[in-house]
Amino acid sequence: MDIRKTYLDLLKQKIEYAYDTQLDKIQKVATMFGECMDNGGVVQLFAVKHGIEFANELNYRAGGIAPFHKQQLADMMIRHMCTKDEVYKTGEIYNRPEVYDQLTSLYELDDRDMYVLVSERGNEPLVLEYAKRAKAKGQKIVAVVNMKYYEKYGGTLLDYADEYLDMQSECPDLAVDVDGVKAGQTGTTVTNIIAQMLTAELYKYFIEKHGSAPVLLSANIKGADVHNNGLTDPYGKRVH
Amino acid sequence: MVDAKRFKDEILTLLDHLYESQKDTMEETAQLMARCIENDGVVHVFGSGHSVGLAIDISLREGSLAPIHIIENADAVVLGTFTLEEFTDKVNKFERRQGVAQYFYNLYDIRENDIFFVISNSGINGVGIDFASLARENGHKVIVITSMIHTLAEDSRHPSGKKLYQLGDVVIDNCGPHGDALLPTNGIEKVCSVSSICNNAIAQMCAVRAIEIMKQDGYEPPVLNGNEEHDKALKEKYKGRI
Repeated sequence: MDIRKTYLDLLKQKIEYAYDTQLDKIQKVATMFGECMDNGGVVQLFAVKHGIEFANELNYRAGGIAPFHKQQLADMMIRHMCTKDEVYKTGEIYNRPEVYDQLTSLYELDDRDMYVLVSERGNEPLVLEYAKRAKAKGQKIVAVVNMKYYEKYGGTLLDYADEYLDMQSECPDLAVDVDGVKAGQTGTTVTNIIAQMLTAELYKYFIEKHGSAPVLLSANIKGADVHNNGLTDPYGKRVH
Repeated sequence: MVDAKRFKDEILTLLDHLYESQKDTMEETAQLMARCIENDGVVHVFGSGHSVGLAIDISLREGSLAPIHIIENADAVVLGTFTLEEFTDKVNKFERRQGVAQYFYNLYDIRENDIFFVISNSGINGVGIDFASLARENGHKVIVITSMIHTLAEDSRHPSGKKLYQLGDVVIDNCGPHGDALLPTNGIEKVCSVSSICNNAIAQMCAVRAIEIMKQDGYEPPVLNGNEEHDKALKEKYKGRI
């Protein structure tokens, strides 16, 4: 058996499973996003470690919906407010709740915004600080966690969430055994697909309610910059 | 009708097509990865914008090959000497500039047996094209991942007129549509991008096959396994390079 096919078949099973178990939640979350955007809000995204891929999949994406904004530690790195090692190698920065104030000071935020907080374990002090602050302001929170990791590591993020999605990864996330070596993660790809299913349902929300949707084009096709700027300019610095 | 079910059904079909159509290019890639790592090389991954996601997916965690190095645009500021203003210039966009590739190349510890993945869905922007070109000039093998439908539909933004796919020793088509979004609508727009999903699937399939080749060669693949001592030793081996 081709090891690549073994991996792919397992990935496809996980995609089907994610659809079967998460569809109701995806539809509810899409409606929450749509209502927030209808009210002039932006959906703010903050993710821990590899969860950044979920945020990337929704934020300023070709074929995606415009009013999202990603809050990322890379924005502190490029201002030399933290080091690359703290973010990628040790992950130490996620243990420091005070980073919330430093990071959010870089952005233009609005009380009409809601939050999507992505963390496999749901236990890092920084992501919990995001949840506490949003909750204190009465802003809606969607948590994206990995239930198997969440339970193993004693997560508490769901205590603050209005709704949650489960990334569905195994713990550890290793799909295949190659002669005794375990490898082949599926979690990120399944998470990306959940994000795109959300995009589809959010698009449907806009079409059913308004007859049109603020869909971004790939920046690498002719005329895209003008089209995309037309969608994002009204938000000023709140998006992109 | 656009909804979650339609996306799920269509992405599953696309992944099957990807596997069937790219079997050979993925095999060539896995062979290059295995030979590189067996010769103490590092696999560098350069991707502009969302394309860097592939590198994130196959590195730095349990089950990942250790010698994977992510080259991020932000390194130009974080590790280099570009200013924030230069990096975030919305008119002269960073990923479309020329001349940046040499800067990146000099920023890292790049050695003879190293190979490069250069990933760009459109394959038309300056940095990726320069980077692939420079890597080849320096004798490295270059694996390109791009959307052939997209790249053939758009003009190159590079003064040479070249596109990224013309510079790969191996070119993997991620089989994504023009504009990256998969689902047509009743309007001009299409929704739901697929490049990150397809790129991740490609990278994971290449990685597991490369591990298998190394095993068959009798070489112990340097895979992180969650054991603190084992992983620390691996990271030490590639220190300064990953």
